[in-house]
Amino acid sequence: MTATTLSPRWSARFGRRPMLLTGLSILGAFVAMALLAPLVAPYDPIFQDAAVKLQPPSLAHPFGTDNFGRDVLSRVIWGARIDLQIAVIGVIFPFLIGTGIGTIAGFFGGWVDTLFMRIIDVVLAFPFLVLMLSIIAILGPGLGSFYIAMALVGWVSYARLIRAQILVLKTQDFAVAAASLGFSRLRIMFRHLLPNALAGSLVFVMSDAVLVLLNGAAISYLGLGVQPPVAEWGVMVAEAQGFITQAWWITLFPGLAIVTLAFGFSLTGDALADLLGVHE
Amino acid sequence: MSAHLEIAGLSVAFRDHQEERPLLEGVSLTLTRGEILGLVGESGSGKSLLCRTVIGLMPSRKLHVTEGSVRLDGDEILGRDMGAIRGRRIGMIFQNPTSHLDPVMTIGNQIREGLARHKGLDDRAARAEAISLLTQVGFPDPAHAFASYAHQFSGGMRQRAMIAVALACDPEILIADEPTTALDVTVQAQILRLLMELRDRRGLSIILITHDLGVVAQTCDRIAVMRHGKVVETGAKRALLAEPQHAYTRELIASHPSMPHPEDAPETHPHDRRPIFEIDGLDVSFPMGGGFLTGHREVRAVKGVSLRIWPGETVGIVGESGSGKSTLARAMLGLTRVSGGDITFDGSVLTKERDKTLKHLRSDAAMVFQDPFNSLNPRMTVGQTLAEVLRTQGETPRGRIAARIGELLDLVGLNRSFAARRPRSLSGGQCQRAGIARALAVNPRVIIADECVAALDVTIQAQIVDLFRDLTRRTGLTLIFIAHDLAIVRNLCERVVVMRHGEIVEDGPSARVLHRPERSYTAALIAAIPDINPDRPLNGGQPLTQQEYAT
Amino acid sequence: MRRYRFVLVRPFQLIPVLFGISVITFVLVRLIPGDPARILLGTRATPTAIANIRAQYGLDEPIWVQYLYFLKNLAAGEMGKSTLYKVDTLKLIVTRIEPTLALVVAGVVLALVIAVPFAAISARRQGTAADHAIRIVSTAGIGFPSFWLGAMLIILFAVRLDWLPVSGYGDSLGDKLLHLILPGLTIALSLSAVITRSLRAGMIAGLSSDVAVAARARGMPESVVFWRHVVPNALVPTVNLLAINVGWLIGGTVVVESVFAVPGLGQLMVRGIFSRDYMVVQGVALTFAVATVLINFLADVVTVALDPRVEL
Repeated sequence: MTATTLSPRWSARFGRRPMLLTGLSILGAFVAMALLAPLVAPYDPIFQDAAVKLQPPSLAHPFGTDNFGRDVLSRVIWGARIDLQIAVIGVIFPFLIGTGIGTIAGFFGGWVDTLFMRIIDVVLAFPFLVLMLSIIAILGPGLGSFYIAMALVGWVSYARLIRAQILVLKTQDFAVAAASLGFSRLRIMFRHLLPNALAGSLVFVMSDAVLVLLNGAAISYLGLGVQPPVAEWGVMVAEAQGFITQAWWITLFPGLAIVTLAFGFSLTGDALADLLGVHE
Repeated sequence: MSAHLEIAGLSVAFRDHQEERPLLEGVSLTLTRGEILGLVGESGSGKSLLCRTVIGLMPSRKLHVTEGSVRLDGDEILGRDMGAIRGRRIGMIFQNPTSHLDPVMTIGNQIREGLARHKGLDDRAARAEAISLLTQVGFPDPAHAFASYAHQFSGGMRQRAMIAVALACDPEILIADEPTTALDVTVQAQILRLLMELRDRRGLSIILITHDLGVVAQTCDRIAVMRHGKVVETGAKRALLAEPQHAYTRELIASHPSMPHPEDAPETHPHDRRPIFEIDGLDVSFPMGGGFLTGHREVRAVKGVSLRIWPGETVGIVGESGSGKSTLARAMLGLTRVSGGDITFDGSVLTKERDKTLKHLRSDAAMVFQDPFNSLNPRMTVGQTLAEVLRTQGETPRGRIAARIGELLDLVGLNRSFAARRPRSLSGGQCQRAGIARALAVNPRVIIADECVAALDVTIQAQIVDLFRDLTRRTGLTLIFIAHDLAIVRNLCERVVVMRHGEIVEDGPSARVLHRPERSYTAALIAAIPDINPDRPLNGGQPLTQQEYAT
Repeated sequence: MRRYRFVLVRPFQLIPVLFGISVITFVLVRLIPGDPARILLGTRATPTAIANIRAQYGLDEPIWVQYLYFLKNLAAGEMGKSTLYKVDTLKLIVTRIEPTLALVVAGVVLALVIAVPFAAISARRQGTAADHAIRIVSTAGIGFPSFWLGAMLIILFAVRLDWLPVSGYGDSLGDKLLHLILPGLTIALSLSAVITRSLRAGMIAGLSSDVAVAARARGMPESVVFWRHVVPNALVPTVNLLAINVGWLIGGTVVVESVFAVPGLGQLMVRGIFSRDYMVVQGVALTFAVATVLINFLADVVTVALDPRVEL
């Protein structure tokens, strides 16, 4: 039931968890691709070769080439660096801020809780992407603006999740028992409530990584995130749009990369939910 | 008398890949027309699975009938299309009406659904028939009930609604799976009475599944005892109860709380010292619902309760759901805000010197909870849980903690190896022992046990009660034992406090309260306990009060 | 009817949220470094225009007074003039609502049309090849970027098969509907993945629930058990899920409108960002936020209608 009961026969258990195995393999493959990009990519991702413009997939260019004659496969491989970074950094800051605020709100209750909940209500009233875009409109386009906007907007889901979990856990008998045994409030919070509450948000981290990845790519697609000529999957799809009638491959492959990476996060999240006994 | 339903040599196995585990082994049973057969056993005995198998609704696809037959009026029904049999010939009611009734469909429509399917009634005829059924099962305003949803009724009325829904199909046989387990005793008595009436009026044959031998003794004609997937003993009720043949049946009978314990009626303590708890005019209210523009409503869970508890006493606090007994317990330990009155613990007044008294309470009082799994942190081992308490209390030197954990486990009768295990890998009884060990780790003068045996099987209940009896005798512990079950309290406690709707109704020595209750409510509560002696008949079926009707 | 009383009370409870929304949209634009008058009017503003806007928005007053001016202008329906389109923002928004609204409605309806049968097949044939396929596709579907999905649909249906227009929005009703098919489908496919997963989980839980066991024990055939008892109970959490995802859905339309060049609010906003047309950005953000709040309110009404236990 719990992650901590993984026995020494974990490899045997892994075999019986095809979802976890597949999910982690996909994530592992993308991490390897990102780290080894200079070694595995056949071409320079921004090198323009006018001689091979808009070539369909071939042995020399398995994913074809784009309108500048750049190799799409190499750009997809190098894109893993940026898009993985988007998913990871875009999740970490909201997670840390949200967990902190959710814990404080759940722990103190009273007016502190009310204040944070009102702020959360207001932030949630805005469609996620709309608020992100508004903030980026002020800060100016770029990956840095994206991360700042993500941290400003993304924390609310984590804060709400952690707070809700803590409020439920607080009423459970084991929390009441801890109080009746004279444990300090801090100990009850950090030793008993938070570890149990975190299980739920760890699963959420995985599905959130999917959303962050999609948002990051979408904002880059709109031209407000990563800027050309950097190889990023959303940028690649945006650049391909002008050639949509002639060269389907420039659009197809970067999108497939996003879908596959997102699938890896989703599978891992589902498997973790099973493993930790979390029901969303 | 012909056999209405005959089960012969029925075996069911769980099969998953290579693994095969028998769950029912060669079960043979006969239900005679018009009789009530009591099917008794503890959790995991296979009694519910047996009935589910009979109507072809096994809970998992990995379960298979390996051999045997089930005959209804002489015809084999096993493996046959059950569509015409389920509901129409064999109906079923369940333990938890709240989860078995469709929450988003009116009760009337659920009844009508059966009438339309099995009797082909049109809407108008079905409505008239449904209203008549609701009247039969005791709804005072059947037209209103027809248009209502399950959540609008109390537990007892929901069970009546489920009975009406089952009867709509006009079955010959009714299987009742623990139909009263979730109900208060007085309501249980009413439902049992209703089942007996229905049997008489409609000529039903009933299989009543229960863990409570008292229920069987009061309602059934014959008894079958199951354990580990086998029927260990069957017989006519009186014969079986008077002369049980199988050792397990004897254990079940001995564990039944309504049996007077050999050392019944513990002696009372002289009250020469200062009371350990003094409670005066205690009020506890909770805000409920309401809000903006609708105004705040309050529920007064405890109303003006005054109570004294002396050191070394064993006091039972008894009441039905909503009586305020658990709230009182939590207030006594300073776990709930008090709205009025005073609580004094060992001379210091909780309501005045809160911090000082709380400090005192935390080192001298401990609590044991109802749900043993939920009351231990699922992420910590039993050893970690105990060590944390010992460290916080700070009375045990660091080097002695491991040894002390061993002693505590010995004290509650758990093997020392359990220190390394997590709650999920323990049985309910083991888990509750760990919970008691945690309470004892405080080295308390008082333990408040809140419904701590309610979730356990009867034989385990008896063991835990024995453990408490042993602990109080050996250590001079003061025990406040909260329960909905008067019978359990009678065996353990020297004094009983009866609560109802947040007030104390009666307070006195167990022997006196149970044999000569002064208040009619206490008398009704005692009379509603299904006694294991069939000759001490069940009192029940009093007219419904308005409060019992609605939630 | 008592359960619907919240409809009268809720608008008052929404006041703090609406207040918060107005504060955030106000502050966002004021955070931009530089002279607010120039920011609001663009770089080529005339001195008279600057003087006018200073008076209208009280830009020489303290910030909280400026906020009151902002509220006062809002109450009068004044969202300021777009620097790009030289029209009042509110007028601009009103003309752009229709395509966006049509997209959201088409997306939700199509998504349900896709999700309900697939979830039903998956749940009722749990463990079969069909179920596995639906599970994998719906899990993968959550990760489909809408800008890419839209582009792929264009490649397939507009370029290869030449069945539908590549982009834009028509004039006549029929033309509009034709132009809405691909963008609507893009939104619906993404949304249906989420709904299918949630519905399937709810249906599977429902099929083994006590309610279903009791219905089977009454001799109800499996189809009755499923459609009459399991599905209504599984719909309640799905409506909540839809409500939670409204923000996400609207964000989706912003992207999809850019892909298909649909002249809706989302496209207006993105153009506004690029041309530093802050009045428009502010106005659209405000409109979207208020719409989200209203839709959530609507979802509460539907929940109360579907589940007699809910009291709000």
